[in-house]
Amino acid sequence: MQIQGYEFPEELYYDPEHFWVRVEGDELVLGMDDFAQKLAGEIVYVQLPDDGKKLKKGKKLAKVESGKWLGKILSPVDGVLITVNEALETDPGLINRDPYGEGWMYRIAANDVSQVEDLLHGVDAIQGWIEAEIAKHAEQA
Amino acid sequence: MQASWKLRLAELVGPDNFSDAVIDLVSYSSDASEHSIRPQAVVWPTNAEQVRSVVLLANELGFPLFPRGAGTGLSGMATPSADGLVLDLARMRSIIDISIQDRVAVVEPGVVYADLDQALAPHGYFFPPDPGSSKVCTLGGNVATNAGGVKGAKYGTTRDYVLGLSLVLGDGREMKAGGRNIKSVSGYDLTRLLVGSEGTLGVLTEIILKINPKPTATATALAVFDKLEDAGGAIVGVMSSGILPSVLEILGRETLQAINQNTELDLPEVDAMLLCETDGFTQTEADYQMERVVEQFKANQARQVRQATATEEVADLWQARKSAYAVLARLKPNFVLEDVTVPISQVINVLAGVQEIAARNQVNIATFGHAGDGNLHPQVLWDAAEPGQTQRVEKAVDELFALAIELGGTLTGEHGIGLSKAAYMGLEHGSAAMETMRALKRSCDPNNVLNPGKMALDG
Amino acid sequence: MSEKHPLLANFRDQIQRCSRCGFCQAHCPVFGASLRPALNARGKMLLLKEVLEGKLELGPELAESIFQCTTCASCALNCPSGVDVPTIIKTARKEMVDLGTCHPAFVAMDQVLEQHPNIYAEDEPEDFDRPRNQKAEVVYFMGCVGQYREEEATEAALEVLDYLEVDYTLIDEVCCSGVLEDVGFEIKPALAAKNLELILATGAKTLVTGCPYCFRTFNNKELYAPLKEAGVEILHLSQFLAGQDLGVHTNQVVTYHDPCDLGRHTDIYDEPRQTIKALAPNFVELPHHHADALCCGAGGGVRGAFAKNSLDMARRRLAEVDQVGAEVVLTECNSCVHNLANAKLRAQKFRVLTTAQFIAELI
Repeated sequence: MQIQGYEFPEELYYDPEHFWVRVEGDELVLGMDDFAQKLAGEIVYVQLPDDGKKLKKGKKLAKVESGKWLGKILSPVDGVLITVNEALETDPGLINRDPYGEGWMYRIAANDVSQVEDLLHGVDAIQGWIEAEIAKHAEQA
Repeated sequence: MQASWKLRLAELVGPDNFSDAVIDLVSYSSDASEHSIRPQAVVWPTNAEQVRSVVLLANELGFPLFPRGAGTGLSGMATPSADGLVLDLARMRSIIDISIQDRVAVVEPGVVYADLDQALAPHGYFFPPDPGSSKVCTLGGNVATNAGGVKGAKYGTTRDYVLGLSLVLGDGREMKAGGRNIKSVSGYDLTRLLVGSEGTLGVLTEIILKINPKPTATATALAVFDKLEDAGGAIVGVMSSGILPSVLEILGRETLQAINQNTELDLPEVDAMLLCETDGFTQTEADYQMERVVEQFKANQARQVRQATATEEVADLWQARKSAYAVLARLKPNFVLEDVTVPISQVINVLAGVQEIAARNQVNIATFGHAGDGNLHPQVLWDAAEPGQTQRVEKAVDELFALAIELGGTLTGEHGIGLSKAAYMGLEHGSAAMETMRALKRSCDPNNVLNPGKMALDG
Repeated sequence: MSEKHPLLANFRDQIQRCSRCGFCQAHCPVFGASLRPALNARGKMLLLKEVLEGKLELGPELAESIFQCTTCASCALNCPSGVDVPTIIKTARKEMVDLGTCHPAFVAMDQVLEQHPNIYAEDEPEDFDRPRNQKAEVVYFMGCVGQYREEEATEAALEVLDYLEVDYTLIDEVCCSGVLEDVGFEIKPALAAKNLELILATGAKTLVTGCPYCFRTFNNKELYAPLKEAGVEILHLSQFLAGQDLGVHTNQVVTYHDPCDLGRHTDIYDEPRQTIKALAPNFVELPHHHADALCCGAGGGVRGAFAKNSLDMARRRLAEVDQVGAEVVLTECNSCVHNLANAKLRAQKFRVLTTAQFIAELI
C-alpha cells in the first residue's frame, strides 16, 4: 500500500528501525523499507557478512551507509545468515531503486520463525507507525 | 549538435559512455598543444562494434569525429572542431594477448604504454619505442602518430613494430591490415601507411605489436662540451663508430638550467651535454659499446665525461630528460615545441642554425633532442602578452622549418603534423605526394568525417 | 579592472604554467578510476584557465570536477611544470563557496558543523567505557571517523594505550573541523575553542591522535596555535607507538598503505613501518608506496560527495594488496581503513585493519 507517497507492501513484517521482513517457510528475507531508503539517500555501502554468521535477535547484523548516514541493521530473530545479495557489493543503489525486490539484502534461517510476530504487521499497524514517523521527521526537518 | 543526434549516440554506446557536460567538453578541447576548441560531445566506446556504429552515424548525420588516446600529442592531432564529436578510446584497454612464442603483444587502442611495459616485464620483454609520455600515452595514439622516443637511435619508431591492425575506416567499413606474422609482403603495406596517419584514415580497434627481449645490461654516460660544434662532431662520431647506442640525447644550456631548477640533479650548465645509454645482454657487451662512445666523446674535446652507475641517479636522469619540455614550460607563459629532423650529419648545422634564428629574431629557443637519430626539439618560449613577441616567434618558426628542409630534413620526426604544421606540408612534399595522400584519404574517408582539417589533407 | 575571482587570480601564474603535458594522468587516483580527463589534474587546470580568461563561469556545473579531488597531491609531486594543483583546487572551492556554487554536500557539511559537534550530526557518541576530561599526561583525540564510523579501530587504539599503561584521558571532543578548509569553508572557531579548552584543562603535555587529518589540523592551523604555545607536543599515534616494545609477533604476510595525510602531506613514512616490521617481519611493500602511494579515494570530501568513484579508487588500491599476496593490509588512518574496508570485495580474503587493531589482536 501507499502511505503519503511511500510504498509499504502489506504482507511484509516491519521493524521500527525501518527494515522489512518477508517470511518464506523457515527462512526470512530482509531489506530496507521505502521510507528509510528515501531518507538515507543513495546507499553507497552495504556490509555483507559471511554466510553462516550466527545471529541473535536484536543484535547488530550489519551496517549500511549512505553519503550522510550510517545505519545498523539488527537481526529480527535468532538464527543463521544463509546468504546475502551479492549484487549489492558493487551496486548498493539497488536498495534505492527496488527496495523490496532486487534490493533485498539478507536471507536468514530462523531458529524460531514465530519471533517475527514481535514485528509490526498488518495494514493498521503499519499505517499508524509510518504516519507517526512521517510526522516526527517533518518536525525535525 | 542536435539533441536527437545526442540521444542516438547515447543509445549506441550506453548513457554512461556519452557526455556533453561542459567539464568534459573543456577537457577535450585540447591535447598537449596550444590549440583549444570545444567539441559538442564525447563518447567512450567500449568495443569495436560501438566504434563502427559511431563512425556510421557520423557519416549518416554529417558530423566530424575526432579519435583520441591520452591527449598528449604535441601538434594538435586530437584537437576537435566546434561541431565535432570526440571519440575517446581510453575505455578500450584490454591487453588481449601476449605471446612470447609468436613474439607479439595484441592490444586494444586504449592500453597505456606503461601498463603494456609492466605486463611484458615479467617475460623479460619490452616494446622498444619509448615515448616521453610513456607513463600515460596509449598504444592507439602511439600507432596513430608513429610515436618515437629516446630509444630511436637503435630501435627505431613505432612503425617498425606494428605487424597488424584492425580498424574502422572513415566510411564505416571494417578492415584488417597485416597480421600476426613477423613479416609479410602480401599486397600493399597498408599497415605501414596507417601508422602515423593521425586518425585521418580509420579508427584503430586492435593492434598487433612485435616485441623484443629486453637487454638486461646497460651503461650510461654523460659528456659536457664547451662548444656546440664539438658536440655535433661527437654525435656523428658516436653514430658512425661501428656500434649503436640505445639512446643518444642532447641537452642545451637552457634545458639544463630548467632541469636543475626542478630536480636535485645539479647538472653542469653548458652549451651542450650529451646523454648516452648503451645496452646489451651482458655487462661486457654494454660496456664495450660505451667504451666506443667515450672514445668519440674524448676525440671531440669533451670537457668532462662521467659514467652514471647508481640506479636511482640513472632513473632520475632519464625522467628529467623525458619531462624536459614540460619543465621548460615553467620559464614563459607560452611555448611551442618543434621536432625538426635531419640526416645525422646535419644535426650540428641545425643546432647552430637554431642559435642564429633565435638571435636574429630575438626569441628564446631552448634545445634538446634525440641526437642519435637526428631528431631535435627546439622549444620556443615566449610571452604572448608582450607586444610583437608572437609575430617574431612565428617568423622564427618559419625560418626553422625552412632551415630543416634546406638541410634535407623533415618537418617532424615524431610529433606529427596535426594542426600545428599543416601549413608547412607544401615545403616538404611535392604535388604528386600531396595528391596521393589526398586520394588515399578520399578513398578511406569519402565524407571527410575522421579528424578533418589535419595534415593539410583538406587542401 | 577589478578581478572577478580574486583568490584564484593569485594562482594565475601557476594555472597558466600548466603545460598540458598530461603526465598527471599517471598519478591522479580520480583519473585512474574514472578515465575521465575532466576529473584529472590537467582537466581541472584547463577549466580554471578558461574561468580566469572569462570563457567559463565558475558555476555549479564545474562542481563535479572541482570537488572531485582527494587533494592527495600525487599530481603536484610529479608535475614537471611545478603546478600546485591541490592548493589551487582548494582556492577554487573557496571561490565557489563565495559565489554560492559550491557542491551541496559540503554546504550541508558546513551547516552540520554549525549545529552539531561532529560531521555526521550524531548526537550520541560511543563512550568507549573510559573516563573523559581527566587530568593526565596524554590526551587521546579520536576524530569523527574514529568515533562514529570506525569504533572498532578506536577501541583497539585505546586497548593498546591501556596495554602500554599510558596515562591518558579522552575528552568530550568535537570535530577539529579542519576538513572544512579543504572544501571551501573555514574551521569553526567555536569548535576549535571547545577542543582547546578541553585539551588544556587536562594539563596534558602530549596530544596523540589516530587521525592524520586531525593531526595536520592541530599542527598547522592558526586556530590551534595555542596548543604549541602551551608547550603541548602533538603526535600521531604512529609516532607515539614507534620504538615501543609491544612484545608480540606474527608470521602473517603484512603490507602497509600510506595514508596521504600521513605520507605525502606530512612525510611520516618510517614510524608506522618501524612498528609494523617489529611485530610482523614478513612485511612486503605495495607496488606504489611511500611518496608514490595510491590514494584510497576518501579524502578531500570525495567519500562524502562522490562515494561511487571513491570506492572505485579504493578498489584500485586493494588490487595492489592482491598483487603482493598480503594477508593483511594495515594503515594509520581511520578514513583510509573505512574506505578500503567498505570497498573490499567478499572474494578478497585479506583483511583491512589499522595498525592498532592488528596490535590489539596480537596482545
